[in-house]
Amino acid sequence: MSGRRELEELIQTCVSIENRQFNPFLLDISEALRIIRRHAGSWKTLGDNLLDMRAITSLARVVGLQSANLRFQSSSLFVDPGMVKQKVESMSREQLAGFLLLSWHPVVELEQLTEASTKEALDYWQKMLSFFERRKRLQPGPFDSPGAMDTPELARLRVLEEKAFGRRLEDLRREMKEKVGEEGRVDYWTFVRASNFAATVLRAQMVSFLVSYGMAMLERKKEKMWLTPRDPPFSTGQGSPLSLPIPIPMEAVVPRAK
Amino acid sequence: MLFFKRGRVPGARSWELKTGLGKEYLKVLAQLDEALKDLDLEVKKVESQTLSDYKPGPDGEEEMRYFVRLKGTLTPKEARMTGWRIDNLAALAACMSLIVSKQGKSERKELEQIIGEKVGRWRALTLTDAFLRSGYLEEDEEGLMKIGWRTRAELDLESLMMLIAESKPRGAIVEEEPGEVAEATEPLEVEGPAETVEAELEDQASTDG
Repeated sequence: MSGRRELEELIQTCVSIENRQFNPFLLDISEALRIIRRHAGSWKTLGDNLLDMRAITSLARVVGLQSANLRFQSSSLFVDPGMVKQKVESMSREQLAGFLLLSWHPVVELEQLTEASTKEALDYWQKMLSFFERRKRLQPGPFDSPGAMDTPELARLRVLEEKAFGRRLEDLRREMKEKVGEEGRVDYWTFVRASNFAATVLRAQMVSFLVSYGMAMLERKKEKMWLTPRDPPFSTGQGSPLSLPIPIPMEAVVPRAK
Repeated sequence: MLFFKRGRVPGARSWELKTGLGKEYLKVLAQLDEALKDLDLEVKKVESQTLSDYKPGPDGEEEMRYFVRLKGTLTPKEARMTGWRIDNLAALAACMSLIVSKQGKSERKELEQIIGEKVGRWRALTLTDAFLRSGYLEEDEEGLMKIGWRTRAELDLESLMMLIAESKPRGAIVEEEPGEVAEATEPLEVEGPAETVEAELEDQASTDG
């Protein structure tokens, strides 16, 4: 392995430790120093030397973390994170809330008008020019008189929808029907995901109407969700009686890069 | 100066108190602390480096922030008046215990996971944001969650860690569906110092629905 590569890997490990991904004691400091020393003589360019410096400073930060870790372990606040997780998982909400209440001393915060601030506010109000005076200063010209707009213009401004809502729902149901596999259902995220976040949210909203109106069925099993289109006649009685909040994370639209 | 909220964070900085009360402001604070005892309140000093809004004082001296806080603790009935649900209190306890055990910093995802196991994933997301907004949590430049100014001012972390470390699991949580938490199936056995608190909280949980 080349010297540069070794140092870059060492820096990466140090960064991961700083980000609390690993225990700082997992890094063998003497071995890391040995690697840095081994290559120290062969560095020629400025870039090489800067890399060397970054490796040393990263290592110094890990040593700092080890020191802080030891100090923390010797303090009364030290409890193993694994054990804490286990304890928290096994405790009921009531137990946890009870423990918090026994350690909680809320801060007193008062919000109140004072004589000085009231005087200041009154002074500001009295000195403030009227709306029409302030408008004059901005010189926006005369008020526009009311006009008329036609439907295509309103659709362009997104005030009106070009297609009727019912028609859009029906189109979406047909699209769903085309996309279902042999199982007769389609994965929720596969169907809802669009090219951008706004379009995904819009599709999710439309799907929620399909489910509420009984035009589709939403099944949820553990982390997976499926949509099954229904055929007419539809009735609202077929709609989902349950309200199911579905958060839309950015990863649902842009799959996380690996 | 200590009671009234001016801006985002309540309390007053040491240099503000010095300007308002003079050089002997610490003696005034000690007297105030004594006077507040009757109201079950106390003056709490929080070190500057643990406050997100830290700015060195005009004369460069070490900066502290002083708050007035409840000296004792709240009973569940009193806690209801704060508008907090059991979910919120339990989530905050879980959150803080994990962060403290990880030396003051933890990944957001990990926090959401541990809260999610108690209150459901959806509420975990909103609660984490709420804790950030209210100052119980802070996010550092690397995106890691750390203990916020309000936690330093309000929570006795040593006591919380001690209670959690010494706790024994009581009552079972039955998960009907991932992300949704069911109520405890049987009455919780009660023992130890948290006895009354838990018994009252069970009552509150049933009224919370």
